[in-house]
Amino acid sequence: MDSKEVSELIKEYAGDVRIVNNRCLFATSDKQRFRALLRALRVAGVTHISTITGIDVGNVVEVIYHFDCWPTMLNLKIPLPKDDLKIPTITDVFPGAVLYERDLMEMLGVKVEGHPDPRRLFLPDDWPEGVYPLRKEFRGAPK
Amino acid sequence: MTFVVPVGPQHPMLKEPEFFRFEVKGEEIVGVDIRLGYAHRGIEEALSRRSYKHNVYLCERICGICNVVHSTTYCQTVEQLAGVEPPERAKYIRAILMELERIHSHLLWLGVAAHQIGFNTLFMLAWRDREYVMDLRELISGGRVHSAMNTIGGVRRDVRSEHVPTMLRGLDKLEQSARYYTDLWGSDRTILARCTNVGVLSKDDAIKFCAVGPLARASDVKVDIRKDDPYGAYGALSFNVITEQEGDVWAKGMVRLREILESIKIVRQALKELPSGPVRTPVELKIPPNETVERTEAPRGELIYYIRSNGTDTPERVRVRTPTYGNFASMKSMFAGGTVAEIPIVMWSIDPCFGCNDRITLVDSHTGKARVVSFDELRRWKK
Amino acid sequence: MMEVLSFFFNSLVFPGLLFASLIGLLYAGIDRKVTGHMQHRIGPPIWQEYLDVGKLMGKEDITPSAAQSLVFNVAPLIALGAVTTVMLLLPVNSAQPALTAVADLIVIIYLLNIPAICLMLGGYSSGGPFGSVGAARYVVQLFSYEFVFILAIIAVIARVGSLDLTAVVGYQAQRGWLILDLRLIPALIAMIISAQGKLMRVPFDIPEAETEIVHGALTEYSGPKLAIWRIVYNIETLVVAGFIAALFLGGPVAYTIGGFQIPGVADFLIKTLIIVLITTILRNIMARLRIDQALKFYWTFAAFLAVLSLMLVLVVP
Repeated sequence: MDSKEVSELIKEYAGDVRIVNNRCLFATSDKQRFRALLRALRVAGVTHISTITGIDVGNVVEVIYHFDCWPTMLNLKIPLPKDDLKIPTITDVFPGAVLYERDLMEMLGVKVEGHPDPRRLFLPDDWPEGVYPLRKEFRGAPK
Repeated sequence: MTFVVPVGPQHPMLKEPEFFRFEVKGEEIVGVDIRLGYAHRGIEEALSRRSYKHNVYLCERICGICNVVHSTTYCQTVEQLAGVEPPERAKYIRAILMELERIHSHLLWLGVAAHQIGFNTLFMLAWRDREYVMDLRELISGGRVHSAMNTIGGVRRDVRSEHVPTMLRGLDKLEQSARYYTDLWGSDRTILARCTNVGVLSKDDAIKFCAVGPLARASDVKVDIRKDDPYGAYGALSFNVITEQEGDVWAKGMVRLREILESIKIVRQALKELPSGPVRTPVELKIPPNETVERTEAPRGELIYYIRSNGTDTPERVRVRTPTYGNFASMKSMFAGGTVAEIPIVMWSIDPCFGCNDRITLVDSHTGKARVVSFDELRRWKK
Repeated sequence: MMEVLSFFFNSLVFPGLLFASLIGLLYAGIDRKVTGHMQHRIGPPIWQEYLDVGKLMGKEDITPSAAQSLVFNVAPLIALGAVTTVMLLLPVNSAQPALTAVADLIVIIYLLNIPAICLMLGGYSSGGPFGSVGAARYVVQLFSYEFVFILAIIAVIARVGSLDLTAVVGYQAQRGWLILDLRLIPALIAMIISAQGKLMRVPFDIPEAETEIVHGALTEYSGPKLAIWRIVYNIETLVVAGFIAALFLGGPVAYTIGGFQIPGVADFLIKTLIIVLITTILRNIMARLRIDQALKFYWTFAAFLAVLSLMLVLVVP
């Protein structure tokens, strides 16, 4: 699929589509339409998730899912307000996302609901609860 | 009766610290658990606190083995953000360096793989021949491992025309030895006994767990970013994507060895068709708010950089997804049903690079913690 | 009085502990040097093994708390005693061994197994998972190579018609070396293959496979105890080589060249060195097998060679 086909495929689930070039596009969706979009991607034959990025932008944490639609890169943004940092897991549809979701949970404190193995991935076991290193308000490791 | 074989954080099998916990019944593996994070340096956060120019050097130090591909991907991403195009000659020089890096990474893999199955002679010989590549890299860039060639908008040094014949001679020697090792890998009885039908990753699992690079290609998944999403000079260079059917350790080795031959071909072609002109475009490094993603084919697979700019000379956020991180999810299915004797070679067959993998957190996890884990478990085994 | 002195001299100096450990360590150094050259390295100097063992001897002796038992501490000493005793039973300087008491091939086979058993006991009692896995693997390996080893010896016994090593050497002095008998060539090959397993050299270094189980049964040993294990291992190499030399290469023979009397021990050293070098070359051209593959290899290919040899000896006149 090239960028046009991908944007055609996701247009009813996502808005704000920005086609960067023939093999890369950005789009924004929300939690309500997210699951339906995943299924649509899956039906269209997308199997590869490259990674998940989380960005703290003030009151909102943006979660970006990078899907590889052979060869187009679909970068799907889901903005999550900080008072409701929850997102359903995608591991049932894309099992390769297991580690990325654990990473997202411990680094930005996004609660991934229904994750099969929600342990820490990189942080040490004695890292305090509720301290997330990639948040804006983070000021150094706790003593 | 099952007991636990700890592999790591320090173990002769691992070249870098990481902890793997194998539950073993006799010789058979029944469970595996991975504990990451022993080599954290907090690079993602550090990248968002330094200027774009500084970050070139920091990205180069994410991984020692694949430093060129890291800095190239970073530079490409920033160039795309800033809307500049590097000169053609710079793209070719980058391609030459990246392919030399692939050759040296794969030869390094071969040496360590031979060591993992106890074939120390092959280990020493493979690393001896790896010196040819190091010499070529030194010739171009002045550095055997860290080339420090890339800069935003091009490369810092040119390939001099009097170096080209030396390069070609070096490539001939390299090709000879690569062919020899390819033959050896396909014919030596003990290598075949240890590597065939071991650590098999089926095609379905490779797709399901999003395997990348040689790991996926050995399971007959034809992915190669150089072909799928050509970047730099790769659109103009001709080469084949190597795949194997079996998905076992042997196939993973064969893919890498045959890729060495392809890379030699690419370097030869790039040297022949090297366009003339400048090697650097000046760039204004105050980038308006924007975001972009770039991916390249590192020696170990797909490497992704995501950068968001915010109008200043430092990036807002840099996300790095290294190939080893992408390949860890496949690991469990490769170990299922294996034996203790297979742990080292199967582990090494994904060519793990923990330095790459662990770059994310902010503080390095204290080694003291790791020791507590191990000792507790040691005490339990005694009982 | 003389007998007692001579016994002590034999067991402690020549051909016992001192001689055996000096030569064993030297052979290990030669082995490492040859390995280095085969791998296009310079390699350590041939006296490196003396330095290594000497350094280990001076190190602190650490016993893990999980391993504090008599077995763990005594195992290396018993093994050392066993291999030194075999040295006394081997023809080193002449056809006559140092200990002339009634001791035949069966005793030597028994004694050669004691280091293996001590290694297992040491591994199991060390309290670590690597030691246990290493010991378990060595049990399997013992059952693999020992059968072939004994079958090959039986082929020789059937050929000579005596269980006495002195008689085997004497027989060869009169009728020529057994290696020249084509019927025994398969037995010799089987013997070298099983020696490779006995000495834990590639492709059969499975019980101490470094990348898999660190150092196998010896993982928890350190300092002087590890040094004793190294000496045991190196004497064992010499002993097995000397045993093969006595069985197939005619044992030590004294020559007289131009009025010079060259003692049998020189011949012994040359022959054992050749055998050690063969095992060195073998270990550098192969990868390590898995334990199940090693078992299968011994019980099919190597056992077939030994049985073939025995059949030929019994059937072909």
